[in-house]
Amino acid sequence: IAQLKDVIIKPDAPSSLLLDKHADYIAAYGSKKDDYVTYLYCFFQLVIFFMILSGKMDTINVDKAVEFVLSCMNFDGGFGCRPGSESHAGQIYCCTGFLSLTGQLHQLNADLLGWWLCERQLPSGGLNGRPEKLPDVCYSWWVLASLKIIGRIHWIDKAKLRRFILACQDEETGGFADRPGDMVDPFHTLFGVAGLSLLGDEQIKAVNPVLCMPEDVLQRIGLQPDLLS
Amino acid sequence: QHGRVKVKTTAQQEEEKRKEREKKLQIYVAARDACFTKRKDGVFDDEALQLTQQLLSSNPDFATLWNYRREILLHLETVRNQDEVQKIYEAELSFLESCLKVNPKSYGSWHHRGWVSARLPRPDWARELSLCDRCLSLDDRNFHCWDYRRMVVKMSGVPVKQELDFTDRLIGSNFSNYSSWHYRSTLLPLLHPQAPDTPSQCGNPPPSASPQTHFHRVCEEQLLKEYELVQNAFFTDPNDQSAWFYYRWLLGRAERDEMISCVYVSREEERVAVAFSRPVNAQSVGLLLILDGQPQRVEWQSVHPHFKNSPVWICSLPPGTISDVANEHNLTVHWTEKHSHRDCALYTGRSESWCRDTATDLELFRSELSVEKTSVLQSELQSVRQLQELEPLNKWCLLTIILLMRALDPLGYEKETLAHFQTLKDVDSMRSAYYSDLCSKFMIENTILKMEYAEVRVFSISDRKLTTLCHLDQLLLVTHINLSSNQLQQLPPQFAMLQCLEVRIGTLFFLLFFINLNSEISTLADLQPLASCPKLKRLDLRGNPITQTTNAEAELAGLLPSVTDLLL
Repeated sequence: IAQLKDVIIKPDAPSSLLLDKHADYIAAYGSKKDDYVTYLYCFFQLVIFFMILSGKMDTINVDKAVEFVLSCMNFDGGFGCRPGSESHAGQIYCCTGFLSLTGQLHQLNADLLGWWLCERQLPSGGLNGRPEKLPDVCYSWWVLASLKIIGRIHWIDKAKLRRFILACQDEETGGFADRPGDMVDPFHTLFGVAGLSLLGDEQIKAVNPVLCMPEDVLQRIGLQPDLLS
Repeated sequence: QHGRVKVKTTAQQEEEKRKEREKKLQIYVAARDACFTKRKDGVFDDEALQLTQQLLSSNPDFATLWNYRREILLHLETVRNQDEVQKIYEAELSFLESCLKVNPKSYGSWHHRGWVSARLPRPDWARELSLCDRCLSLDDRNFHCWDYRRMVVKMSGVPVKQELDFTDRLIGSNFSNYSSWHYRSTLLPLLHPQAPDTPSQCGNPPPSASPQTHFHRVCEEQLLKEYELVQNAFFTDPNDQSAWFYYRWLLGRAERDEMISCVYVSREEERVAVAFSRPVNAQSVGLLLILDGQPQRVEWQSVHPHFKNSPVWICSLPPGTISDVANEHNLTVHWTEKHSHRDCALYTGRSESWCRDTATDLELFRSELSVEKTSVLQSELQSVRQLQELEPLNKWCLLTIILLMRALDPLGYEKETLAHFQTLKDVDSMRSAYYSDLCSKFMIENTILKMEYAEVRVFSISDRKLTTLCHLDQLLLVTHINLSSNQLQQLPPQFAMLQCLEVRIGTLFFLLFFINLNSEISTLADLQPLASCPKLKRLDLRGNPITQTTNAEAELAGLLPSVTDLLL
């Protein structure tokens, strides 16, 4: 019979936000040139693509692109890599972000997708990326941001998720890992911090769910992607 | 990086590890730089193949190297004969198999395999399918493999029936099978589609049918068989969530056709409101208004400026056009893009008129069920209820019972539905906000149905713990709304779709329409959507925290200038 895959959070896991440790971790990471480039490049590719998409929509056939993305919608309201591919939180994030930037959020079945997304929350409070997988801090971003975009972030238990994310911190080195006890890396550190911001942590700047950038930066350049209420 | 456990080591162990890493790094960097140099110099030789192979064996996610390797292979295609090319690509498939053994989840390796298979002069699709079988038997949630399998099936024309049988086998033997049920959801409509106009026949699939279009319909005969299959799955293992997700999809209704669902005309305001079955951008879909045979030049506006896409649009007619109550007028609204239209006649002596398909007509909240389907669903409900007694803490049972009751008789089962939702919130408290919203949605659907059966324009739903408002596009004609004693914290912007919330003073009668809110409205911003209800005259806010704020009366007067009757 099916065993529920999940992690156990130990009683001595970190339970408060170790801001200073994380600042030190990221600062130190910048000094190791090769590693830094690999991680940042992937992220910037995404961000730059989004920025181009929002600034120069006329260079691509947006209708066809929307048609393609919608053709990737599945029976459960989610999206996969290609038409016919299984729903996955990472792809769902890309597609909801895309539909927000192209003003097509009304094409989603927000109630159905929101249900699939809130079912990603496991008893530990962490979120997985699809059914019967282990929780992972980066899904605190992919899943949470998607829920925020479709106006259903209140469908997950925020307190339990926050507890999970905090437990993924490394008290010695700073930074966040995918799960409590694992090795930290900048990728999970970004998404742990961003996830906490979406949950309303007042020590962190408000983050925009579509572009994963601080809201005040986007306000400055007048970029406010659609969100469902 | 996923799944790397942090292990503590001594300072000496750290130093030894560091030295070893340095050495490996030097070898790696040398090989990598050699590849980059060769590529820059346009070299596509054997050494390049060897170097890239060496690096990709342990770094299959190094996309640039796969790109270079493909350039080398493309070059070889031009200087070797077909038999040689066949051998080269077969060797490539062999190399890829060893890569996949080490890392079966590398995007780079799977993509390259797909590329090679497509270029192979004599592909062996049976072998590729068998590779997928083996890979999936080790991990049937490997989506890379599933996607590759779909490509192989498409390229080699494997019959849909054969793949359906494959999913049967997998579902029968493995408990982690969301991927199989998902695949099934894409295959079923291909094999057993419901033709759009014929009720429930199993015919030949139209060539252009795609599971991802709004034809998510499966013909009824097959649907009923499918219920049985899924039931076997969740009875065997009630905690296997995939079957429950799939079952919810089977219980769902097909998406509605795109059409104009309502046209409303107000003589006094000289305004036309149009409701669509789904959100549209009226300014770009060719919406045409014809009045007494004459096309009218009008500006269509969304009910709320923020929404470019909306199910409800309004326009104003030139003053004097229809204001004389002695005249009869005929209106037609054309949705030219969809070749759909709706007529509405405004008779003499009448101050308003409408033409609509009700929620009941459109089977929005409940489908008309055939005798067979009713019988099947009733026995399903009975079975799941029995299962729920055996597994009182299983939330899937509870939710599915609710969904079955909705499908069978939403009004008849209302009380039971509410009780089950309460249990559900206790059993699965993490998602209690979801269940509250879902319950609110179902209560609103029931209220709309009751309103339609009674043929009144009063929407009254109080003391139902409503946490959200939805289906507001169905309330276009509502004149009187009562939302007291609920848990609403704000009015959604879509509230502006209630275009008929207004006062009318006719020659023969005086009618007062008002709102009664006794929820959790606490700030002025919460009431913003009311500013879009054109002629709201009376507002009862008693019992809401907002009445306690200083200067509330003055601020409300500023926000809602048309309200003359404000009860605080």
